[in-house]
Amino acid sequence: MTGSVRDLLRYRFLFEQMVRRELRQKYQGSILGVAWYIVNPLVLMGAYYFLFGRVFKVASHDDYPLFLMVGLVVWIFFNQAVLGAAPSLLDQGSLIRKARFPRETIPAASVTVQFVIFLVVLGLVAAATFVVRGTVGTSLLLLPVVLVALFAFVLGFALAVSVLHAFFRDVAPILGAVLLPWFFLSPIFFEPSDITSSSAEKAILTWVNPVAPFIEAVRSIVYDGDWPGGDTLLYVLAASVVAFVGGQVVFRRLQRELAVVV
Amino acid sequence: MTAVALAPGEIRLEHASRAFQIRADRGGTLKELLLGRRADGPPPVQALDDVSLHIAPGETVGIVGRNGAGKSSTLRVLAGIVPLDRGTVEIGGQIVSLLELGAGFGRDFSGRENILLNGALHGLKREEIEARMDDVIAFSELGSFIDVPVKTYSSGMFVRLGFAIAAHLDADVLLIDEVLAVGDEAFQRKCERRIAEQVAAGATLVLVSHDAALVERTCERTVVLDGGKVAFDGPTAEGLPFYHRMMGTDGA
Repeated sequence: MTGSVRDLLRYRFLFEQMVRRELRQKYQGSILGVAWYIVNPLVLMGAYYFLFGRVFKVASHDDYPLFLMVGLVVWIFFNQAVLGAAPSLLDQGSLIRKARFPRETIPAASVTVQFVIFLVVLGLVAAATFVVRGTVGTSLLLLPVVLVALFAFVLGFALAVSVLHAFFRDVAPILGAVLLPWFFLSPIFFEPSDITSSSAEKAILTWVNPVAPFIEAVRSIVYDGDWPGGDTLLYVLAASVVAFVGGQVVFRRLQRELAVVV
Repeated sequence: MTAVALAPGEIRLEHASRAFQIRADRGGTLKELLLGRRADGPPPVQALDDVSLHIAPGETVGIVGRNGAGKSSTLRVLAGIVPLDRGTVEIGGQIVSLLELGAGFGRDFSGRENILLNGALHGLKREEIEARMDDVIAFSELGSFIDVPVKTYSSGMFVRLGFAIAAHLDADVLLIDEVLAVGDEAFQRKCERRIAEQVAAGATLVLVSHDAALVERTCERTVVLDGGKVAFDGPTAEGLPFYHRMMGTDGA
């Protein structure tokens, strides 16, 4: 492990360059440039608000657009980071075939860019929520902890997905197919208690989906101005450790042959 | 892992073996994984077959052989990019490899930005790269093109930039794969002089080339690979005639 820490320090500048490259490359040549990263989630949120806030009213919560957006930004981060990381190693195949450097920097840079965008959009949504609902409280102190855990969770997941996709090209299409139903089963437009009164179903919706507790935790803090439940917090921390460690184990095991398969 | 510390520039390859699957599409699919086998294709190619090489710091070694003899695989193994199936590879100090021309260049980025990225790939810090920036740009002879996206470069300009970067990374070991041939003759000579300077300063050079004249000029030692095995290893003065006899190009 000391080796990987030394690598991390040595290649810190590489990581910085990768993030910069990722940020600029995607929308290079477009007029709005980096602003697209912010525009897209905002447009998506508008569309979902129209659909679930006006057309199909699945749940009734005060200031429903804010309720929805807080959950939605968490999901969009997860979704974009995983989908972005999946092909990242293949996209950078020429680098991998050419030089020896810690390959983790490639998916990590991709996830980091999405995380920064997420922080900006979450900042906008939180600011609006605080103005409208006045939910600024001491529980806000916990938000950085939850966000760091969320980053670790998504990074671990993305590491595993990226390296698996390099070996099995079915991974990204499978993800693409799974993410949409996953999205609708996540408590973004509703809380589990809005759509079912069976406690078993509520438990499944809350605990089987590892993204759900992250959404719940962020929503408790930002939208309710309240402390998240202890069980939710515990789940969030455990899920982040499991995903982070598991993702690295998978990555390390498979990355040796990367230069041959990409 | 490394039991005996190697001197910077030292290379030790022991009983190295590596086979490659030849496939058009290199990743697997889930179907193959579930069926537990890969779709039919040509049998694996044994690129390295029990190869042992010991290269001392400051040596200049040319690797020659027919296409598919394992030359490029050897370099990629030495560069630490491809792992071995069996055997060990150890290499001391800073390794700088020039394997694929302009690979790893972000096409939408300027030459200057690509210098930063390439330096970073070799583990350099921003200050270290910026200290070399002017030298690299001067060496590349790209002039004002250095601030233009590299997608507008000609292939000759690609090589010049790629070599200029590699030549200024203070390598202990330089691994070069048949890339110099693309530049014009004047630039080739300049590269050779630069390599000679680095060798004089103690760097080890491993060069893969089909250009016997280039090997003759730059390398004291020649390794001839054939079918993944070392067919000859010795002074270039004997190695090249051996190579020509093997290829049937000795004019006899």
